[in-house]
Amino acid sequence: MGTMNHPRENDLALLAGGEAGRGSRFFLERHVRSCADCQHKVAEYRQLRSHLREHDIPDANWHFLEADMRANIRLGLEAGACVRTTQITPRWNLRLTVGFAGLAALIVAGFFVLDIGPLRDRFNGSLFNGSSQDASTTVLRSTGSEVEIRSGDRSLMLLNHKGSTAANQTVSARGDIGTRYVDGEAGTVTINNVYLQ
Amino acid sequence: MSIFSKNRAIVPALILLSVSLLGTFVLSAQETTLDPASSLKIDLPPDAPLSLISTTMGDSRATSRGGAIVLDLHMGLTLRNSGAKHIRGVTLLITAQEFAPGGKGSVARPSIDVPPGENFTLPVDIRLVRPVRETAGPLVRVQLDGVLFDDLTFFGPNKLNSQRALTFWEVEAQRDRAYFKQALQARGQSGLQQDILASISKQADRTQLDVSLSRNGRATGSAVPTTDHMAQFAFLNLPGAPVQPLEGWAAISGNEARSPQIEVVNNSGKPVRYVEIGWLVKDKQGHEYVAGSVPASESTMLLPSGQRTRLQQDTALKFSRAGRPIEIDGMTAYVSQVEFADGHVWVPSRHDLDSSPLLRVTAPSPEEQRLADIYAKKGLAALVTELNRY
Repeated sequence: MGTMNHPRENDLALLAGGEAGRGSRFFLERHVRSCADCQHKVAEYRQLRSHLREHDIPDANWHFLEADMRANIRLGLEAGACVRTTQITPRWNLRLTVGFAGLAALIVAGFFVLDIGPLRDRFNGSLFNGSSQDASTTVLRSTGSEVEIRSGDRSLMLLNHKGSTAANQTVSARGDIGTRYVDGEAGTVTINNVYLQ
Repeated sequence: MSIFSKNRAIVPALILLSVSLLGTFVLSAQETTLDPASSLKIDLPPDAPLSLISTTMGDSRATSRGGAIVLDLHMGLTLRNSGAKHIRGVTLLITAQEFAPGGKGSVARPSIDVPPGENFTLPVDIRLVRPVRETAGPLVRVQLDGVLFDDLTFFGPNKLNSQRALTFWEVEAQRDRAYFKQALQARGQSGLQQDILASISKQADRTQLDVSLSRNGRATGSAVPTTDHMAQFAFLNLPGAPVQPLEGWAAISGNEARSPQIEVVNNSGKPVRYVEIGWLVKDKQGHEYVAGSVPASESTMLLPSGQRTRLQQDTALKFSRAGRPIEIDGMTAYVSQVEFADGHVWVPSRHDLDSSPLLRVTAPSPEEQRLADIYAKKGLAALVTELNRY
């Protein structure tokens, strides 16, 4: 069983006085209909209001009181403006900002300065080909549009010519991989191969 | 009031960050246009039947990234047939300076008919990544490995066994040209169209695998954690094959196959000096793919008539498709190429290739690929003109 969330006291008071907004009144009334405690509280507020109406408002110079209160508010605002001599503290700390900027620059520089090829291949290898090749192993690879021989941070790749079509791949267990394609412009066949020695 | 006037610390920080980033980009990704003379060396033997007419470098460039240099070479080599015979194929050897493990590449152009005195252009697109070091001399070297003529004679140093490869491609080209010519003669243009459409459909249906290949046994790690087991090849015996596979197996571990070995017997009456076995793999869902080929291990092999030998390679192949490992469930093999001691070669006939639905997944020959491309791009009339050319 969950516990019931009751509306706040002042919302119930506004509902009792008929001063709740249209939307909140809908939800408050819906709750009060099903909650005996809140029904009781609303009833108490209504009773209290009816009691207050029975008493006369005390005799006072209301116009004088209004003018006096306005003057006090103005005085308070002006006094507050005079005493604010210190600058607002910056929300951004200079040292912290420079530090983060430098760190960001370092990360970005590292990304571009480092040769990410081996990292990329290690990622591709482990995730897609299901292997994490030893860096010293020479590997031939074919993707249909290119053939590559890679060893550590060195790579030689033969690419199909731009605009070529219909690539076919050949693999020899002797240690060579090839791709052959038809050159889009000339309509001739070119075969690229890479070899393990 | 804007946030900048309220928070003066932000402005210098942003300036500092921007300057840092700009500097980083400028320093780390410097691009330079390559000078052909210094980055590339093209060696053609003085007595070669080819002469270099021009070299274009397109948008070739070098980009340095920290400790590495990335060379993008997009070249067009225009060569002239300076010999007396028609050229049917050319292979260029590509080597990169200081490529430690000694890797090399080649660019070949089979299925051509270049008369004496005529030019042709060969595209060479290379990406080379290597550590930045001060080195003298060209970064990439292009050498002639071989030229095949229309009478199947050969010129060149043949370091890559280009003679054999170019000869096989040429024999396959002759077979396929004859097949389509015969279709044209026997059944007219509609018969030719029917056959070339069937070829295009077959090529479209082929699914290729991404393959990585390494030597010296198994690559570390495997996405499919299964233990090795020896899997036997099933064989497709083609009726006209001069060599017959007897038994064979490979070590399988998930999506990796390694150290394939296949025993064959020479059923022909002539000694054989080279055999190559086509290798198909099947995944757990029953899809067949071309894995590659298992060639003879010895370049000096000589297999007399009636004798047996074992084709054996110490390499590991890993297969994936669309980034996912393909777990191997079965293997099939068939004899795909035989070279006799007298230099003649055997390739499966068109009838052989149509004899089993399994062989539907095999790649078309370079010539069939080219003819299908002509039909697809230029239409039936252009294909007929091409078939009638020679």
